[in-house]
Amino acid sequence: MVNLPTNPADILPFIISIITSHTFITLVIFPGLIHLVLASSFLTWYERKLLARIQLRIGPLYAGWPGGILQPIADGVKLIFKEVIVPYKADRTLFTWIPLALVFLGTLPFAVIPFGQNWVIANLDVGLVFVFATTSIFPSMIIIFAWASNSKYPFIGGLRSLFQQVAYEIPMWISALSVVILARSLNLLDIVNAQAKIWFIIPAFLSFIVFFICVMAELERLPFDLPEAEPELVAGWYTEASGVIFMALFLALYLKLYLMSTLVTVLFLGGWWGPAFLPQPVWTILKTMVVATFIIIPRGIYPRIRVDMLIKLGWTRLLIIALGNVFLTLLIVNSGVLSAWGL
Amino acid sequence: MEVALAVPPDIVFIILATITLLAAILALQAKELIYGAIGLGISFIGIAGFFILLDAPYLAMLQIAIYVGAVVVLILFTIMLVRREVGEEVIEKGERGEGAAGLWIAGLLAVSIAGVAALAGPNLASTPPPGQLPVSALGPVLVTEYPVPLVILALLLSAALLGALMLAKVER
Amino acid sequence: MIWAVLILLFTGPLLTLPYLIVFPKRKEDHFRDMPFESGQVPQGEARRRLSMQYYPYVLMFVVFDVVGMFLFAWGISFTRIPIGSSLMVLLFLILLGAPLGYALRLALRRENW
Repeated sequence: MVNLPTNPADILPFIISIITSHTFITLVIFPGLIHLVLASSFLTWYERKLLARIQLRIGPLYAGWPGGILQPIADGVKLIFKEVIVPYKADRTLFTWIPLALVFLGTLPFAVIPFGQNWVIANLDVGLVFVFATTSIFPSMIIIFAWASNSKYPFIGGLRSLFQQVAYEIPMWISALSVVILARSLNLLDIVNAQAKIWFIIPAFLSFIVFFICVMAELERLPFDLPEAEPELVAGWYTEASGVIFMALFLALYLKLYLMSTLVTVLFLGGWWGPAFLPQPVWTILKTMVVATFIIIPRGIYPRIRVDMLIKLGWTRLLIIALGNVFLTLLIVNSGVLSAWGL
Repeated sequence: MEVALAVPPDIVFIILATITLLAAILALQAKELIYGAIGLGISFIGIAGFFILLDAPYLAMLQIAIYVGAVVVLILFTIMLVRREVGEEVIEKGERGEGAAGLWIAGLLAVSIAGVAALAGPNLASTPPPGQLPVSALGPVLVTEYPVPLVILALLLSAALLGALMLAKVER
Repeated sequence: MIWAVLILLFTGPLLTLPYLIVFPKRKEDHFRDMPFESGQVPQGEARRRLSMQYYPYVLMFVVFDVVGMFLFAWGISFTRIPIGSSLMVLLFLILLGAPLGYALRLALRRENW
């Protein structure tokens, strides 16, 4: 359905027409590959700076003039040239390729997340379930990677990560169900459009709290830091990763942070709706950065949660609060209280 | 010179079928059980791809979330319950008559597929059946027209859960 | 269909990003490749056997995965279906609530973590 040019003089206009097509721009530039790599690198720098200010230090300072902003690039270059040590009798193939698969999985859900009315790569009707389905593959890959590095610390860390992520995925899904009931659609573009008059954080406030806590647990962020318990387990399930493999894992983890922050924004904070003096994607990114700030800050403040309290919190309290909020949302929608805002 | 950028569905089907079959073969033949679990996961993703080809996107997502997300985790957990030394060889190849059994089953399958194709006549098409199943249509149908299967599903899941709890309890 | 192709195209190039430098396969050196345990020599096998007591959690996850998927299918159509079907889904949830309660009581009563 595309006419390839036969005349050599036509090749340059043809390439230009492909590059400026909307599909290519969304795929590669925004919200595509370049934006994702830049955003996750920026998040690594942002986290280090933020935690440093909380802990009364300065953070990255020397790489790049305005406050060490080129630090992620310096880290990347350093990690590429470091030696990759595969542990003795570890499974070399799995050890090598699972981090790559994790990066792949981390970028895949961004194909359906809308950053603006026209800024979505693939507007799927099952968008929300697509995001949840792909993020549910993470625990199995983590446990395989932990098994593949033939070492005790990663194995224990991997198991802890598995139980933690598995425990907090269900309350996450059920609190997103409240949003689905309010918006009556699984299409993320429709969900954001339904928040034109009122952001879903207001009718579904309890769901927002549950979702936020589950997001922090999914990302293995303090206070849910057990899989990466530094005084106990060195570095948890990625202890043995070094060099390029660690860079891939690091990229995957921060991609997941960006993904979850964007998901909170799209589901609860109204996506791109805001006063019109800023373009729509800028609003989305601003709100995402605010959410990411609130996810990063507890890392500098709170102690770690104990494992039995973690399991109790995930399986009992959060699940029941999420279910309760689903019924509350049902009653609200049924009674028509929100019809003034078009819900 | 015109080139179609949209790939015809048959090629996608062949690629998906190859991936699924190779993953399934890996799942059966792998020496390390973890490789078997990974092969199973990849074949589940291939089947989800088939659901997408058949215009049932919600089923594809269901397949990925439930099978690859939960069942593979369960299988991995069960694999790690079994203690096994690294590099242990269980049975020599060829002792169990696996070649002959494979040929026999392949022959039976070929005969039955040929019989079905002959009976179907010239209506054997390779394109997916018409009609889409968008989520907005699937959701209401699932809940309104199938209440009894819903309740049976609930009872089945409860039975599975209680059974597993009994098992875990006795193992103390 | 086109979105499937788009998704595949989207993720393909990202695959090559971190693996720009192909690291060579070296001979296995027992000393260099020892698993990291903060200096001490690791003893015993790394892949220990798990305990059966953690099985209920994984199985609860499987069951509630399925439940969650069905609830999503119900959630989008909630306003368009008769109230009886919603009550059926409620029954679905209540029927599963009993084993959940029992599972949680069993799993949380022991201090096996």
